[in-house]
Amino acid sequence: MPEELRRKQENHERGDHPEHRRGGDRHRPRRKRQESLKPGSFKYVWRSVSRNKGAVVGMIMLAAIVVLCFLSPYICKYPYAKLNMMDSYQTPNLNHLFGTDEMGRDLFSCVLYGARYTLIIGLLATAMSAVLGIIMGAAAGYFGGIVDSCLMRFLDIFQAFPTLVLAMAFCAVFGTGVDKCILALGITGIPGFARLMRANILRIVNMEYIEAARTINCPTWKIILKHIIPNSVSPVIVEIAMTVSRNGLTSSSLSFLGLGVQPPKPEWGAMLSAARSYIRDYPHMVIIPGIFIVITVLSFNLIGDAFRDALDPTLKN
Amino acid sequence: MAALIEVKNLQKYFKSAGGQVHAVDGVSFTIEKGETLGLVGESGCGKSTLGRTLIHLNEPTGGEMFYDGRDVTRLNTRQLTEFRKDVQMIFQDPFSSLDPRQTIQDIIEEPMRLATRMSKSELKEKTIELMDTVGIEKRLRQSYPHELDGGRRQRVGIARALALDPKFIVCDEPVSALDVSIQAQILNLLMDLQETRGLTYLFITHDMSVVKHISNHICVMYLGQMVEKSEKEELFDKPLHPYTKALLSAIPTTDIHHQKQRILLKGEIKSAINPGPGCRFASRCPYATEECRQGVQLKEVLPNHFVACNKVEEINGL
Amino acid sequence: MAENHQKEPLFSVRNLVVDYHSGDSIVHAVNGVSFDLAPGETLGLVGETGAGKTTIAKASLRILPEYSVERIEGEVFYDGKDVLKMNDHELRKLRGEHISMIFQDPMTALNPVKTVISQIAEGYKTHHNCSKAEANQVAIKMLEMVGIGADRAEEFPHQFSGGMKQRVVIALALACSPKVLIADEPTTALDVTIQAQVLDLIKSLRDELGTAMVLITHDLGIVAEVCDKVAVIYAGRIVESGTKEDIFDHPTHPYTKGLFAALPDLQKKVRRLSPIEGLPPDPCEERRCCDFYDRCPYKCGHCKSYDHTKAIEVSPGHFSRCWRTDATKEGE
Repeated sequence: MPEELRRKQENHERGDHPEHRRGGDRHRPRRKRQESLKPGSFKYVWRSVSRNKGAVVGMIMLAAIVVLCFLSPYICKYPYAKLNMMDSYQTPNLNHLFGTDEMGRDLFSCVLYGARYTLIIGLLATAMSAVLGIIMGAAAGYFGGIVDSCLMRFLDIFQAFPTLVLAMAFCAVFGTGVDKCILALGITGIPGFARLMRANILRIVNMEYIEAARTINCPTWKIILKHIIPNSVSPVIVEIAMTVSRNGLTSSSLSFLGLGVQPPKPEWGAMLSAARSYIRDYPHMVIIPGIFIVITVLSFNLIGDAFRDALDPTLKN
Repeated sequence: MAALIEVKNLQKYFKSAGGQVHAVDGVSFTIEKGETLGLVGESGCGKSTLGRTLIHLNEPTGGEMFYDGRDVTRLNTRQLTEFRKDVQMIFQDPFSSLDPRQTIQDIIEEPMRLATRMSKSELKEKTIELMDTVGIEKRLRQSYPHELDGGRRQRVGIARALALDPKFIVCDEPVSALDVSIQAQILNLLMDLQETRGLTYLFITHDMSVVKHISNHICVMYLGQMVEKSEKEELFDKPLHPYTKALLSAIPTTDIHHQKQRILLKGEIKSAINPGPGCRFASRCPYATEECRQGVQLKEVLPNHFVACNKVEEINGL
Repeated sequence: MAENHQKEPLFSVRNLVVDYHSGDSIVHAVNGVSFDLAPGETLGLVGETGAGKTTIAKASLRILPEYSVERIEGEVFYDGKDVLKMNDHELRKLRGEHISMIFQDPMTALNPVKTVISQIAEGYKTHHNCSKAEANQVAIKMLEMVGIGADRAEEFPHQFSGGMKQRVVIALALACSPKVLIADEPTTALDVTIQAQVLDLIKSLRDELGTAMVLITHDLGIVAEVCDKVAVIYAGRIVESGTKEDIFDHPTHPYTKGLFAALPDLQKKVRRLSPIEGLPPDPCEERRCCDFYDRCPYKCGHCKSYDHTKAIEVSPGHFSRCWRTDATKEGE
């Protein structure tokens, strides 16, 4: 018998195995855990996420992009907007790591500066949809009845259109630019969060511990704040990670279509769009921003998946 | 002894797609101080709804409720706060009745934190005292519910209910989710608490042997109505209502040498949606006649033994 | 009872061991269980939650989810053939036609989008290769046998009450007239009066069709009513087995005694119940002495040294895993 087993056995016999004294058992608690960790708490989630190889790769890639993006003014030899017709159409070389475009702009600087737009648009738009969606969904779920019907029917209208088409429509109305892009993506993301939150609230409200809180005179606002919201945010966190990646992609699509960030600004989608006529002769102009879009989206997705596994106990094992 | 709880003709209806569900329909009873009233019935008979209405988790549709002589049928927020210091509940499912994100300490101290101005150290002290009362080890104070087994979780639920020193506790199937050996531990604990603290219980269950063990009086419910009410021994020795008889005969016993004569019921269970007048058991009752479908009254057939059956004299030869 | 011992067993389980993996640890769910079932006999498997009752049943029909099973060892003989070594074709034939199973929850055992008659007929058709009309006839006959009129055969499961659904499940299980029926807590989800009806039905069908049955339950009352033989399971092992009379009149193992003592009894008047203190052992740990050691009121030094894997024959056909076959009686 291996050493560890023997030690366990001895503990067992001495009777100081913590869970062995009294009480009933229907669903056996997992006794291996030494430390009491709050399910869904930061530490608990972190332990699970950091064990997930995909998530670690995703986080490293994302961190690299963010660091490069912040350091871009210091590591880029050329400002992203500097034209240099003499050096145009260069393939990657030591001077221009990622080559240059048709105007001789350094693609390395463009891509690094461009990361800001993609990340900012992705994060801000998601924050906007998450905040509004959670409030609307929570209200619909908790109050029910007419509030629920009105809010959900209103959101159904949004959901009747494909996201990209809706975002395009908003851009057509509001105009183009980073702020408009955030607004368009933010609004189109609301229904997803609202539905998710509403479904969660409906599930939690019927749990006996909510009734128990009412029997001990817990005021309604405290029930919502202390019991309902903490227990219903986990799926929302997953959704946030996924939405950031989706928004990054959609913002690139919008820019590619000429509706989002406008060409002199080096948004990746806009870069792709501008370079698409040179795809045959100078494929690096398309491939490089493309790769960055893929890496960013992939890392957010990997992280989102890991969070889903960490927060959803039903997917365990 | 004075009646602590008095319920008169209590009604609770719910709206549903098919019409009104008469979950509790005209139930009356009293519970004396320090006694246990067992409320038995099968699933869907309205016993849990009755318990929840009694502590104002649902508002009653009609009827009156009295606590210690005061009318508590309608309460405003302030009165309700006061009322709930005296009246608490223990829930059925030890897995969904505790917030998974709170520690045992948080769960047990929450009622005191809300109702009193105790300091942190006082709260901690009181929590440890309560944990000791219900038999949970002190070291589990910072654990989370998922780390505990069913029996301990149920003890936490009991500690939470005891935190405000209530006088009356509604126990809603507190042992039906537990294994036999653990069930015995919890039943013993509840009975000890009753003795030391002078608690009054409304004990809701579907298990006849559990109710017999713990109660002084027993009410039998069928589809929202009370069919029989009596002192425990009398009900088990001399059941008068045909439903009670069938219910008692259906309990499997561990006595292998004396097999009981089963009364097997036939017929469909009536729906509680718009049930109309008459005895709701009539559709399964072997003695039912047209008269039974018209109406039925709860009457005192023997001293302190109430039965809602038109044929009770005929059936039992009284 | 006596002639049952002479009968050739129809279904027998020999040293069944089942380990699951769950997360990082291995759960020893069943640790060497053996029992025999003669034709027409009813065996009750009694135990608390997590004792491994359902795993035994599922392993012997090979319906455990393969991804979670670490190992299955031992032998499960049906009619001389080892179920654990059968190929897919033989297995399909075995399940349903020779052995069928009733699950605990009638609500989830039926397909909600098919009429009850088509669900029963489908099983019969696949096994007997007959026409649809013939299968429907059998289905109606089965439904009538469990007390559901032909007029309700075309209805969907949600139109039935819980007790009626469990009857449909029983009809489904018996449609191919299996030789062995494994019933896993068939009445736990039902009300007492309905439970009485369903138990009565199971008993009468068993006697009528001569089906051998393994009844899994946590309720000693049900065992007393239905079974001929009883096996008490604790922590994945049979701690005591014998005829119903052996177990109910002369329980020997401290766990069996504890179970009886913890039960609130309708006949006896006791103020306090006597629960079994402590918790069942962690199934993830290997144990080197008696499984019940930690909770046993009679434990002593010898309990650790004797061979706890061997059952001791207390009287012919009555086995217990506790070496103290007499001392416990004195302790009372």
